[in-house]
Amino acid sequence: MAARTRLPLLFPRNLFPFRSQKLVHTDVSVKEPAYPPIVPSLTAKSKSARRRQIEERVKKICTSSVEDKLSLITRIQREKFVVYPQTFARNADRWYQHFTKTAYIPGLPEKFTPGLEKTTAAVPGIDDDAFADIRSLVTRVILQEHWQFRKRKPFMYRHQEQVVGPFLRSLVSGLTYSLAKYNPLLQLSSLDLSPQVNFYWRRGQRIIPKGHRKRHLEPTRFQIDDRPHSQIRVTQQLPQFMPLEASHAAEVPEITLRPNVMPLFRRQYDNNIFTGAKLPDPACYGHTQFHLVPDRYHRDRMIRQQQADQVEVFLRANALASLFAWTGAQAMYQGFWNYEDVTRPFVSQAVITDGHFFSFFCYQLNTVALSVETDANNPRKNLLWGTESLRLYESVQDGEVVGLNDGVVKLLVQFFMNQP
Amino acid sequence: MPVTRLLYPLYQLGNPQLRIFRPSWFLTLVRPGKEQPQDTVQFRIPMEMTKYDIKNYLEKIYNVPVGVVRTRIQFGSNKKRNHLNQKVKQPDYKVAYVQLALGQTFTFPDIFPEKERAPAEGSMEEMQEKFMEDEKQRQKLDPRRGGVTEWFGL
Repeated sequence: MAARTRLPLLFPRNLFPFRSQKLVHTDVSVKEPAYPPIVPSLTAKSKSARRRQIEERVKKICTSSVEDKLSLITRIQREKFVVYPQTFARNADRWYQHFTKTAYIPGLPEKFTPGLEKTTAAVPGIDDDAFADIRSLVTRVILQEHWQFRKRKPFMYRHQEQVVGPFLRSLVSGLTYSLAKYNPLLQLSSLDLSPQVNFYWRRGQRIIPKGHRKRHLEPTRFQIDDRPHSQIRVTQQLPQFMPLEASHAAEVPEITLRPNVMPLFRRQYDNNIFTGAKLPDPACYGHTQFHLVPDRYHRDRMIRQQQADQVEVFLRANALASLFAWTGAQAMYQGFWNYEDVTRPFVSQAVITDGHFFSFFCYQLNTVALSVETDANNPRKNLLWGTESLRLYESVQDGEVVGLNDGVVKLLVQFFMNQP
Repeated sequence: MPVTRLLYPLYQLGNPQLRIFRPSWFLTLVRPGKEQPQDTVQFRIPMEMTKYDIKNYLEKIYNVPVGVVRTRIQFGSNKKRNHLNQKVKQPDYKVAYVQLALGQTFTFPDIFPEKERAPAEGSMEEMQEKFMEDEKQRQKLDPRRGGVTEWFGL
């Protein structure tokens, strides 16, 4: 029996409005269920969890202020290789070039003309009278130390500390003050005497051979603790010697042996990063460093014992390590670190002397990303320019300086006059 | 000074230089256990020698230009025990790492190179080798079975 429903006589078009599927609106925005992103866990004992921990740590360091960055990077203490800038190890400069990814270019950049044969008027910004003043200042300082002061013979192995140290100090301070009127940068500079310069970085890795962490990969850590004789810090960055991209072509020696064969020794202590002054100091960029050669470094003895090549190697290794530490610390003070590479090159200069012989070095830091993960695709290299040792004067006789080398004085003046 | 036991000549400034003719010290060149740089040579030396002794020894007797010498004493283990449960001491020895000057390099040569030993024609060794090879060939399974064992019925 058919059910009797009360249907109308005439059927209008939409009698059953919700019957057909076509009337259901289909262009409503389909709400996708919003799940949180699928990432590996943070606390599990797995390789992906470890990777995520490292990424979180890197992100945390990137987003913090400079003091927090420094303290987070140098927080964990572990065994590290202590790199001494002044070392008697053989071929130390090749090893240090490998540790710091630096290419050595003999001679100075085009900015500093050789100066040994040219005339005195070639220094820009200094006319002949001023250069003559500088020359007389240098002779005065030499005579004061070696002729006028009646000094007793210095103790054994203390010649550098007792004779050349005061000479260099008075020379540097005299030159800084007299050249301050030509170089406005020096007027706002800070001359530090015997400052501390420290730097901590990681480069390369090794597989741990023995112990409870056997077969793990461990990055090799290095630390430089340096005490230059004096340094000049300025408020503005020195201009670059070579553009960043030009350093891609330079060659850095690759050494596959472990650093302890060099010989280099490991210790565990505070990781320090320091330019010579604390963070809030306005003079945070470096200008020039002055180094004294240690007392046990005897040029003539080394040449006699068939180690003539090691004479220059020592100076180069010293300049390399000291300048890398200084420029690296300057870059860290500006917030650049391993995972945030420098956007502009950091430039500094150094002069290493033993009283008679002066060697001039220029360093350009193009990259601070030296650890294994960041170095894989990093074509940039750091650059070191350097000269051989040049004699400043022959000797002091009867109150007169014999054979003062004008070229060396000119180079010194050019170094001081370097400004942006 | 040379061959007898070295007694007590205390050196003072102005004494004649100690000269040793025909020293009774002998150096042993060894292959380095850990990898060393190209200019480093490793020696085992008697315990009484010092760095300066090695430098003079190599320079004067063998005309080898020596840059720097580093020494260490290797302790010989006293841990092993013999059948009477007594400790057996391996002797201590001194090792010297000599870095050569003037850019010279040295690599320890291969003293026992691999030789291709082909037995002579018609000799006993050749027949024995052929026999061993045939035996091995017979022991191998049918290659068409694809490594499956004999007892499995395919």
